[in-house]
Amino acid sequence: MTSTRLRHADEPFYLPVRDEVELFSAAYEQRIPVLLKGPTGCGKTRFVEHMAWRLFGNRPDAPAEPLVTVSCHDDLTSADLVGRYLLSGEGTTWLDGPLTKAVRTGALCYLDEVVEARKDTTVILHALTDHRRMLPIERLGTTVQAHDDFLLVISYNPGYQVATKDLKPSTRQRFMAIDFDYPASDLETQIIAHEAELDETRAGQLAFLGEQLRRLGEAGVIDGPGTRLLVHVGELMVKGIAPRRACEAGLVQALSDESDVQRAIIDVVSAIFPE
Amino acid sequence: MTVTQVQPPARHRVLVRERGVLEALEQAAAEDRARHHLALYYRALTGKVCSLIPYDGGANPWERADTEAEVWLPAQAPLDEHFEFTSGQFFQVAMTHRAMHERFGSFRLDLERDEPLFRRLRPADTSDPGVPALERLAGLFGHSALGVHMFATCEDIRIDAATARLFPGLAGPLRAVQHGALHDRPETSVLSPRAAAIEALIRFSLGSSKVLAPHQLEPTIEQIVAIARLLRDPLSTVESSVEAALRICHLLIEQPDDGMHRTVRELRFADLDGDAEAMSPLDMATLPSRMAGADGLGPWYHHVRYRDWPGPRYVGVGEGDLSLADVLDLAARRAEGQGEVAPGPDAGDDDLLDIEGEERPPAEEKPQEESRPDGRPADSGMTLPPPTSDAPDLVWEPALRATGRREFTYPEWDRFAERVRPDHTLVRLLTAPANSSEHDHFEVLARYGDIVSRLVRAIERISPQSTAATRRTSTGDDLDLDATIDAMIDMRLKAEPSDHLYTDLRRPRREVAVAFAIDLSGSTALWLPPDAVNPGVPIQRILDLQRDAVSLVAEALNRVGDSFGIYGFSGTGRENVRLSVVKDIEERLTPVVWRRLGSMVPDDTTRIGAVIRHLTHRLQQIDAATKILVVVTDGRPFDVDYGQKYQKEYGREAEFDYAVADTAHALAESRSRAVNPLLITVDPYGENYLAPVCDPHEYHVIGDPQDLPEALADIYLAVRRATMGRPTAAAAMPPVRRA
Repeated sequence: MTSTRLRHADEPFYLPVRDEVELFSAAYEQRIPVLLKGPTGCGKTRFVEHMAWRLFGNRPDAPAEPLVTVSCHDDLTSADLVGRYLLSGEGTTWLDGPLTKAVRTGALCYLDEVVEARKDTTVILHALTDHRRMLPIERLGTTVQAHDDFLLVISYNPGYQVATKDLKPSTRQRFMAIDFDYPASDLETQIIAHEAELDETRAGQLAFLGEQLRRLGEAGVIDGPGTRLLVHVGELMVKGIAPRRACEAGLVQALSDESDVQRAIIDVVSAIFPE
Repeated sequence: MTVTQVQPPARHRVLVRERGVLEALEQAAAEDRARHHLALYYRALTGKVCSLIPYDGGANPWERADTEAEVWLPAQAPLDEHFEFTSGQFFQVAMTHRAMHERFGSFRLDLERDEPLFRRLRPADTSDPGVPALERLAGLFGHSALGVHMFATCEDIRIDAATARLFPGLAGPLRAVQHGALHDRPETSVLSPRAAAIEALIRFSLGSSKVLAPHQLEPTIEQIVAIARLLRDPLSTVESSVEAALRICHLLIEQPDDGMHRTVRELRFADLDGDAEAMSPLDMATLPSRMAGADGLGPWYHHVRYRDWPGPRYVGVGEGDLSLADVLDLAARRAEGQGEVAPGPDAGDDDLLDIEGEERPPAEEKPQEESRPDGRPADSGMTLPPPTSDAPDLVWEPALRATGRREFTYPEWDRFAERVRPDHTLVRLLTAPANSSEHDHFEVLARYGDIVSRLVRAIERISPQSTAATRRTSTGDDLDLDATIDAMIDMRLKAEPSDHLYTDLRRPRREVAVAFAIDLSGSTALWLPPDAVNPGVPIQRILDLQRDAVSLVAEALNRVGDSFGIYGFSGTGRENVRLSVVKDIEERLTPVVWRRLGSMVPDDTTRIGAVIRHLTHRLQQIDAATKILVVVTDGRPFDVDYGQKYQKEYGREAEFDYAVADTAHALAESRSRAVNPLLITVDPYGENYLAPVCDPHEYHVIGDPQDLPEALADIYLAVRRATMGRPTAAAAMPPVRRA
């Protein structure tokens, strides 16, 4: 779990692709839980950070940790989210899990790649995501009513998750969905240039490279490179690593272990970068 | 000294031959990899799938024009010690050039679309709007090959300039390859005036700074260069190439195509300042009649090897291996209303029938056609040493050695010698390519979805899942009361408490590991008749059905938690049994597994014994209570050297008996190693040859391949039931025999 403290000056950089900012704001006003769908590295997490800053950054009554992020995995249990008893010298003490903490304090709770979590985990979300807005805590024998400012946000990557790990309709239909995709080339150039502090020319070349390689992603040969991956490569370049070498280390190896695919990617890289 | 004069010792002869085989195999594998990676490169740039077809230098250029799905490339890069490019760079340049044709719309011409560089001289298009624009293009040039060639050359200039702009990393190699191509150009002093002017254009297109030309041609070349120069503008489009080609053809057709000016002098392109617009629409109106019948490029013309050759695609006709002249003739007949209505891209085959007058074989039979009688692929490029019956046995069949971590040697049962031949087969592990889409798997799920859910329910019934509590763990859902009390006592006694304080509620892992082996022999390319029961189901090959069946059971296994691996097997001889790993048993299931499964193609032969032995070995490495090996095949085992040596002594059936006996022996070996082997065949005659040698519970004959998906699920369920609590009790299950 990670918690984010946001100050007004720390605006997380985010360039809107479509109307996602307006949609999310409207959903928050109505306290409708939000589902973010999109491929790896297309900016879902950054978007949530940006929205948390927009919603809480100026408010004096904002919770100390306005955004609670949980990266879900296949061993994540409901206890990991809700909380558990710990043993201390005086006996047992209850420790709130990240979800309970967000529910109590009125933060945004972001469950990243939620379908990776065990199935019983999603069930505890049901009472939180309808008109009841409450979290039953079985081990305490209590129910926590969600703070007025609380909102649940979940994400998943429909291309990556296998069919058996899809969200159940009873869960999915509780959320408003915002579909994300990779940004257009000019927008991605700006993002890479800003995030990696890279010059526009090389940022544009990286965005162009991403565009080419995503065709292999569409064909199912690889998972197309996300903007985050391209930013990492840009950051290597800023530190003086030659572009081809930066791509090889930061991108080629990350995208595939198959030598033929790697060679094809290296060819695309070498066509775009002279050295 | 030659080998025939002084024979090396027998053992050395074997090594020499082995080395030759290995080198040939390595070379063939390297070529396959090169083709695959170039095809992926092309796909990254265009999003399109293509097959790469190499051609040798002497091939007829008319027969190597690219099509929508085929890219022809020279088999070897034209390298020279003076050239400053590598073989890899040559092919990268060549593939990029072809990809950029796709990207920059060479084949998406719209004759009515505006373009920004030239004054419009194209005559208004009054032809049937149903005819593709590229086909109408030929009419602008009187259906002459010269016109299409000039259009193609203009496109080459535009494409190369765009390539250098878009791919700065390729600009240097492109210049080097072009520079190399200039070495291959004919002397203009021996060409006719028209040919010399064309040659000047080609040299300009290759980045040359000058050309030797007769002074009589200077005004023509000056104008041609002025026109061609505009095509390097970033704003140029495919319609710009049409305008340029019309102007260039107007200039060329005025020049005689015979005789020559022997006196030439150097013309520097940079010094030329011609007028690209010195023609009138009237000139263009008469161009078709003036060009009709003009010859294409004559024998003087040297093809630029990194560029594609104009063919049917340049005049809007579908795929085919017709000459450009034939295609132009077809286009002319259509324009005159004598031919069929213009085809879509898929209608090309019908057109070919009209012209050739002979039926082309259906594409799906191609894999079988390409197989040679000896079962080896025609283009394998390797030569196996011929077995000599008079040579000592161990000379031509020595024990093999594995040389890499992905190679394994296994014994083989020789039923005629009645002994096990140690290290007789070499299994090579390959990672299956993943150039398909996982959507194929989802389509199979949709088509046979009820099989998966039924199988899942049935497996869960016989082995119900329950939540098992693991006590005294370091992490978990709840505090373990006993562990907590113990810890409290320890703390009060000032002793260090254990941190294993929790109870962990998790689904227990299942204790089953399954390996599926799918036969990829050439015969699995056979197309099945349409499914009479489900007419909506597309016609499939045997391999498709095998793949569907395995993917369904695998999906069910994933849902219930049984661990499984999927492998495809084929090969060419005992030293090259190829096992493609779609999913290893310990590999996590990701979408790439379904992509690999969908990418499997029919390959070569079926040496089942070695495959059973390897997968048995793999299953033995897995920590599971029950291990199951499922081999799905379409016929009897066969390989190029699987018992053939005994034919002379024991008759033609000896090869067959040898292969079946080894397969049965391998099944028995597998059983003795606590693995439950199952051989499932869709060969309706399987009963005849498997019954005498195999345990009746270990083979299953499915008479109608269409039943395979359902039958495989039934068989798997039966073996799961039979092995419940009895790890090696597959023999207790009833055999499946479906007519």
